[in-house]
Amino acid sequence: IYLVAESKSAEPWPENATLYQQLKGEQILLSDNAASLAVQAFLQMCNLPIKVVCRANAEYMSPSGKVPFIHVGNQVVSELGPIVQFVKAKGHSLSDGLGEVQKAEMKAYMELVNNMLLTAELYLQWCDEATVGEITHARYGSPYPWPLNHILAYQKQWEVKRKMKAIGWGKKTLDQVLEDVDQCCQALSQRLGTQPYFFNKQPTELDALVFGHLYTILTTQLTNDELSEKVKNYSNLLAFCRRIEQHYFEDRGKGRLS
Amino acid sequence: MGVRVECVCGSGVWRPVRRVPDRTPSSLVKCPCSPPVSTPWIFPPQKYNADYDLSARQGADTLAFMSLLEEKLLPVLVHTFWIDTKNYVEVTRKWYAEAMPFPLNFFLPGRMQRQGLQPSRVVLARIEAKEDATLLGGPASLDAFVFSYLALLLQAKLPSGKLQAHLRGLHNLCAYCTHILSLYFPWDGAEVPPPRQTPAGPETEEEPYRRRNQILSVLAGLAAMVGYALLSGIVSIQRATPARAPGTRALGMAEEDEEE
Repeated sequence: IYLVAESKSAEPWPENATLYQQLKGEQILLSDNAASLAVQAFLQMCNLPIKVVCRANAEYMSPSGKVPFIHVGNQVVSELGPIVQFVKAKGHSLSDGLGEVQKAEMKAYMELVNNMLLTAELYLQWCDEATVGEITHARYGSPYPWPLNHILAYQKQWEVKRKMKAIGWGKKTLDQVLEDVDQCCQALSQRLGTQPYFFNKQPTELDALVFGHLYTILTTQLTNDELSEKVKNYSNLLAFCRRIEQHYFEDRGKGRLS
Repeated sequence: MGVRVECVCGSGVWRPVRRVPDRTPSSLVKCPCSPPVSTPWIFPPQKYNADYDLSARQGADTLAFMSLLEEKLLPVLVHTFWIDTKNYVEVTRKWYAEAMPFPLNFFLPGRMQRQGLQPSRVVLARIEAKEDATLLGGPASLDAFVFSYLALLLQAKLPSGKLQAHLRGLHNLCAYCTHILSLYFPWDGAEVPPPRQTPAGPETEEEPYRRRNQILSVLAGLAAMVGYALLSGIVSIQRATPARAPGTRALGMAEEDEEE
């Protein structure tokens, strides 16, 4: 008798890998859409085929409670960070060519995006009363019957508000949040400069993450345009989004991103 | 570089002792590197700017690394000082209890501990921003930020110090901290910095206020006791001549005895 140890990395990337997110048209929110788009962009950049499936209960299916998550073979992995690690274990990586210092910089900028852009998106959709009333509540509870739709929406709002308070964003005003978004975009714009991608010629997971967030902010209709205006101030960021959209989504026959 | 500050010893209160002429032109009034979230800064960014000499790109890097530190190191710090039971009981709670006036020292540290449990992730991550000081020329706000985290971790005498041991293994970071300590905190020498410099430090009172408060609280206690005694009749003040006073008092006490 001999035991055969199978490692996860031994299997190649299957053709039927799927990415799960909430319903695109009626349910998904700004922050989740950004996260999902970031993962899609990353997988496109790695040249790995993925099929996007929309499910109303995607959030509950996910092992960590966050979307998106991918189902590859018999593995289920959620969120960009773990997905990047998983893909690396399979032998595909975008950041292998970077030096130690550049890798540290990449991690730092990714944290900046998560710290500021993602938190600002969450603030806007769950703590700004106008947006909550007009958009978020209706969208979040849309797949469920009354009264479940209200209960789930309030529960989620309470959770997000608690998290905001814990990280010190509870007392912030909308203007301060928009200021932070502006600072973040300024930093990203400075770092990008005139290069095509953040680390010159080749895109990395940072490019995927930034694209996911900026593209979603630019193309999502909210109660007002203040958030997208902040991003539009930086022309190199707009060109960056356009470039990635053209190269990785349109040219590959996926059609325009809605 | 900037304004010299002096720690009024024993109380942890910092105040600038000498002003350096303000070099910040009006175009830099809006500091591009003002910290994103909740780091308490002593000086408003308009007047004193440690990042005056940094280029815009370096400013962007600063912001990014601050986010990285807040995301990775802050939960570790919170865990090390507040959630790890041994450290909390033997070090942190003692520090805060000593620094706070009565009766806050009984419940505030506990409340702060419960608040520390809220940020959901506790990550014992490897400290990856090793090259911070060398990435950006001279000392800047990022160095102050990094130093504030690392110095606390290195200097505090923690009973349960896994992270501390790990950090001590990274020699360049230790040298970095000692360098900053010797340059900007020369009066401490090699001692532990006063624990009241922790980022979420409580308000401490200066000597005269503490004395005044003690006297006031004693007086208040005395007044309360005397007032109660008078009101409930244990002690009664009779408007009588001094000769008769003992007699009436004895009478008052006899009446009380009868009632009992």
